[in-house]
Amino acid sequence: MKFKSNRLVTGLFLEAIGLCLMLSFIFINIAATATLLIFNLFFLSLIIQLNGTLNIKLGILTLGNITGLFWNVVLHHFAIAGVTFFGEPFNVFYAVSYPFLNFMWVVSFWSMSLAVLPKPKSMKAEVKT
Amino acid sequence: MIIETLEVIFLFLTAFMIAYLVRHYVFTLTVLRRNKKVRGKVTVDAKYEPTVSILIPARDEEKVIGRLLQRMTKLTYPHNKLQVLTIDDASSDSTRQIAEEYSKRHPFIEVLHRDKKTGGKGKASAMNSGLARSTGEIVLCFDADYYPQRDIVEKLVKEFNDPVVGAVQGRPVVLNEAKNVVTRLVTLERIGGYRIDQEARDNLGLIPQFGGTVGGFRRSILEKLGGFDESMLTEDTDLTFQVYLAGFKVRYVGDAECYEEAVDNWKAYWRQRHRWARGHMQVCFKHTPRVLRSKKLNAKEKIDGLLLLHVYFMPVLTLVSFFVGVTLILFGSSQLVNAFWFFVPVSFYSLVGNFAPFFEIGIGAYLDGRTRIQWLIPLLLFVYSYNILICTKALLDLFVAKMLRKSQSDWAKTQHRGNGNSYIGN
Repeated sequence: MKFKSNRLVTGLFLEAIGLCLMLSFIFINIAATATLLIFNLFFLSLIIQLNGTLNIKLGILTLGNITGLFWNVVLHHFAIAGVTFFGEPFNVFYAVSYPFLNFMWVVSFWSMSLAVLPKPKSMKAEVKT
Repeated sequence: MIIETLEVIFLFLTAFMIAYLVRHYVFTLTVLRRNKKVRGKVTVDAKYEPTVSILIPARDEEKVIGRLLQRMTKLTYPHNKLQVLTIDDASSDSTRQIAEEYSKRHPFIEVLHRDKKTGGKGKASAMNSGLARSTGEIVLCFDADYYPQRDIVEKLVKEFNDPVVGAVQGRPVVLNEAKNVVTRLVTLERIGGYRIDQEARDNLGLIPQFGGTVGGFRRSILEKLGGFDESMLTEDTDLTFQVYLAGFKVRYVGDAECYEEAVDNWKAYWRQRHRWARGHMQVCFKHTPRVLRSKKLNAKEKIDGLLLLHVYFMPVLTLVSFFVGVTLILFGSSQLVNAFWFFVPVSFYSLVGNFAPFFEIGIGAYLDGRTRIQWLIPLLLFVYSYNILICTKALLDLFVAKMLRKSQSDWAKTQHRGNGNSYIGN
């Protein structure tokens, strides 16, 4: 029973991640989808190998995708508002700053994810660090 | 025509960044895989016990030298096979007196004094005079602000059992991590550099770097290479390449930990990194053609060696690619440039000493069991920007010095205040 419910949760998380990717592509732009894909690639190839159950890690990954989607929605609307108020030159500013602004959530969420995962066995230290 | 040229430059620069990103992604994966397979302590082979000389170059180190010499008396390596040589390089404080006190009480501790006439010519010069006086088959080096594990000599020396090993490098761990945000960020740098980078390079048979301290050489090789090059600001990196070009290897011993006092303010950070950047660039100019021509290095080592040699140029190249990219966006660039523009910000979340990106540092800190420090990773954006200024200045200084034919070596040393003493538990 527990095994089945675990698989159900895993399935739900995977569906949520897929939905985030689709929504980002349909309603925002391909750059937003690419950022989510890069985050997922790093997460699935590196963090997934660390301590903690699969569902905890997938839960964090899902949360990351939702955060990324939300962040990109905000950025998208920020761009629309910027162009409305400042005209075409805002597009250049947006194009330059977009990946920098986008990586803010990727890096922050990455460090937060690592901080909440169960710790590995710590090494014996001779000093009080 | 200008736009097309700029596009080519931009794509070339971002290709460099991608090469480093891929390299560090592979490093991170390698360490993660190895970490899963190998657990537990490495056993130390007690049978191999060559004579060992430990060189401690010290110039105005009265606040920390006593701590290190006290630790030397507690080393578990047989004292009759050990020679600890403090090289007092024309200190104007009580470094010499402290070292001589220890020397009187412990016969294996010696002091080599260099006066103002003979000394003060840089760390490499001090090390060479120490080397001339030393007698051990293996020569280890420790900076005066370091605090090694008691069995560090055994851990480092065991690697010399393999005749192809010319040098070893242990792991420096920041002692005063908790002091402020600068020491915490330096800790992150050290973690990225040693917990992942050096470890992976050792595992993959690439070029682990000798870092000038917490490591050492086989004496015969060091003598064959002519000792430490006094014209180099980073004689450690220079020796790493000399060892490889002579057909020997450097091994990294991750469990040989030694605690260091990290710089604790931005001014000291600037001074230290400026010296490292300038020295590393010097070594790059010296060794790039030799690495390319070498028949002793395999293709893997050549690629890694070239990436290692050029690492301090990356912040400068990132800055150039940023401005070229902005120009291209302003004048309407192609889709290809837009796609590659994506890689520029990733570089800004990297370290400078090894160009380790945020994901590598995060995994390194996690494997070390450091969860709180993870929260500082987003601040790497500011550290990298600061390092862009440092490296650009270092490059300009190097060119100016070259044009004016000024000497490159001096004791541009970091001031150690003994702040780490309060963290030592024994």
